[in-house]
Amino acid sequence: MRPTELVAASFDSYSRISRQFAVEHLPLLRLLPMGLCPSFLLQIQNLGTSFPAEKDSLRRQCDSLQSLTPDRYRALAAPLEALSIPEALQSMDWVNAPEGFINELTAFLWSSGQIGQFRSGTSALFAAIPAQADTNHRLVFVMLGQGAQVEYGKSLRKLSKVGVMLTSLKPETGFQEIRSAMAQHAAKAAAPYASWYIDGGIVSPETRDALPDAVVVSYQGLAKLRDRVLTRMQAALTSSGGAEQMRTRLTSLSPNDVDAAEITLDPVLQRLYTELFTQSSGPQIFSTSFVQWAGREIARRAQPQTLLLRYAPRQSHRDLNEMFASVQAPSFDPQGSFRDAEMGAYYNWIETQRITAPGKLTFMAWIEDRSLAVIVGANSPTGTICSTPMTISQALENFG
Amino acid sequence: MSETKRMRLGHIRSAKMISATRRDFLRGAIGTLSAASFMRSALGAQSAAALRPKRKTIVVTFGGGARDEETFAEEGQENIPNLLHTLLPQGTFFSQVVNAGILGHYVATASIVTGTYERFDNFVAQPPANPTLFEYYRKGLRRPAVDAWVIAPSNGFQRIGSSSHRSFGPEYGAGVILPKRLLAAALHGSQSLDVEQLSRLLQDSYEMPLYQPLQSSTDRELHLDMLESSLQLSVQEFIQKARSIDSADELSIYIARQLMKQHAPSLMMLTLHDMDIAHSGAYSLYVDAIQRADRLCAELWSAVQSDPEYKDRTTLYIMPDFGRDSDDDPAGNGFQHHRTGGAMARTTWMLALGPHLRRNMTVDRPIESIDLVPTIGRCLGFDTASPGRIIRELV
Repeated sequence: MRPTELVAASFDSYSRISRQFAVEHLPLLRLLPMGLCPSFLLQIQNLGTSFPAEKDSLRRQCDSLQSLTPDRYRALAAPLEALSIPEALQSMDWVNAPEGFINELTAFLWSSGQIGQFRSGTSALFAAIPAQADTNHRLVFVMLGQGAQVEYGKSLRKLSKVGVMLTSLKPETGFQEIRSAMAQHAAKAAAPYASWYIDGGIVSPETRDALPDAVVVSYQGLAKLRDRVLTRMQAALTSSGGAEQMRTRLTSLSPNDVDAAEITLDPVLQRLYTELFTQSSGPQIFSTSFVQWAGREIARRAQPQTLLLRYAPRQSHRDLNEMFASVQAPSFDPQGSFRDAEMGAYYNWIETQRITAPGKLTFMAWIEDRSLAVIVGANSPTGTICSTPMTISQALENFG
Repeated sequence: MSETKRMRLGHIRSAKMISATRRDFLRGAIGTLSAASFMRSALGAQSAAALRPKRKTIVVTFGGGARDEETFAEEGQENIPNLLHTLLPQGTFFSQVVNAGILGHYVATASIVTGTYERFDNFVAQPPANPTLFEYYRKGLRRPAVDAWVIAPSNGFQRIGSSSHRSFGPEYGAGVILPKRLLAAALHGSQSLDVEQLSRLLQDSYEMPLYQPLQSSTDRELHLDMLESSLQLSVQEFIQKARSIDSADELSIYIARQLMKQHAPSLMMLTLHDMDIAHSGAYSLYVDAIQRADRLCAELWSAVQSDPEYKDRTTLYIMPDFGRDSDDDPAGNGFQHHRTGGAMARTTWMLALGPHLRRNMTVDRPIESIDLVPTIGRCLGFDTASPGRIIRELV
């Protein structure tokens, strides 16, 4: 089956909201190249458990592509139409099971040497969609370094190149000030899923109370879900098929399969929490990978206005099979975790910067209980050092 | 122009786009060294023909992929003090090695050893379709089986020693040693109290989490036989050594040195793989593994120089099989994977050291990872059918 053969009845098995969207955009779906259409269908299928920002983004992409002149669209789609896709793949049920098709297509594009053409073709097509004017101001905090030895000249080096290194911060009330700034900002930008706090350890009741508008998630809080995913991974290890089989098994897990309803009744969050462990490498065993990946996925999918990411020490590195066997960590590696978190914080900055209009992001990475932080904001000259003693609130006023 | 050629040129163009940065970081790194000596060593000035029968070749790949950012770029140089300050001044450095094939470790390594971009499923252990370097070498120069070896991580790589090509095959292949399997065989049924502790050396990459258990008692016996006959090691000696080391890569280097001692092979390939822990997202563990690989490469070169069988007649090639994804590519997650197919993931470097090679030399023109096989063939005096181009700076 080719996209040109799609009709309204093709989506009969979709949920009401997904079917309605698909039918509404049927002219575009029928035009899309074979290699791309299933990716759109996957997003459409997931609309019922998508964040508002994802829904807006999908609608905007579809509307923009649909509004291109026929000549322009044909020119942009031509490299993707030229991809050679075997009949066996085209005959898959990619309308109802697009994810399986996408996995198979990806492997085929690599093995046939067409991945570069696909990559450049999709980049050119999506570049034709006008950037969305985002006037929101984002406030992002990253806390890291619990229990680690910190060398002042060597910490936060990547981030310090893009912001102001604060070397005399007053740490005593730091966390309290961050929560207060978060709460104030979240109150101004009240919207569903606009404010988040992700912790690589445990969230105290006091902190939870201080952030009434935020979605609060912790590594420990998701331990049961993680344990169920690890059990599935253990089962996959004892069967044949290797890494690909493992990945296929994980990505096919639904929130129901891992009983995500035990964590939250919100289906949007159920899917997010499940996919944080089933569509990733690392968060299943390392809390630092969890915080980085969660920050990335929340930035990409929920596009929050306020975000706090707190890295905690991950377990020490052991034999992977041992680490898969239990969610319990016999020992921790604060120093390695600090280094992981420094890189994670840098990636968190890249990800939040990517979704924010120039001059609208205030980003601070603070080494917990220390006087060292980097702030990147509209008023922060890049690659500079500030040794003036100040509180976090004052730093936000001066450089945010 | 053929589709394949167009694709390859496309990748090279992408590589050129990042070449300015690469040139900058390397110039900064070695300063005057790169412009210094064009002199060949005294031994290199001798007739190449006279050297051929006595030349030895060792190829070390950084399997798992390593980026510039963590190696030769300015911020990565602290991770590779040995490569940068000890080995690089003794060799020729290629700052742009492009891999235009599939960025999976087994298939990419197979492509390096066949000199052809292989297209098979990375996660299925199978022999490459095209003849390997080892087969060209042994058939072309009529070398015995003990003269060519591969030391590699477990999964998939057990088939890398020879191809399924009808004119070649296992008869001309290299001996393949999988140190983790050797250790698993040695530990099987062992009464050693620290079996559990040693199992850390058996793990594979995060993409292939479980080391493949030995299939049968025959399989175990074959490995134990290899331990004793090829490496001249008793089970007890091997376990004792394993206790004293920290990682699978160290075990691989130990095996390499044991082979050098017992057989002095003329062609040996070694794949270091610890750094593929990057797939777990733990940056510190990835960098630790790079630092370890840096140290192990220096130890290997030192072993070469202190062994009369190898000293002054060995060429060592060190190269990552490919890079990893760029920090800025939204399709990836930075150092963690190599899935985007972007220029940074495809472009890496190679360092070549040997008596006939120029020292302190940096080559910025792009070459491809499949160019190594025909180049080694030219150096050692055998033909290959690789579509790669001979690297003129190395012959």
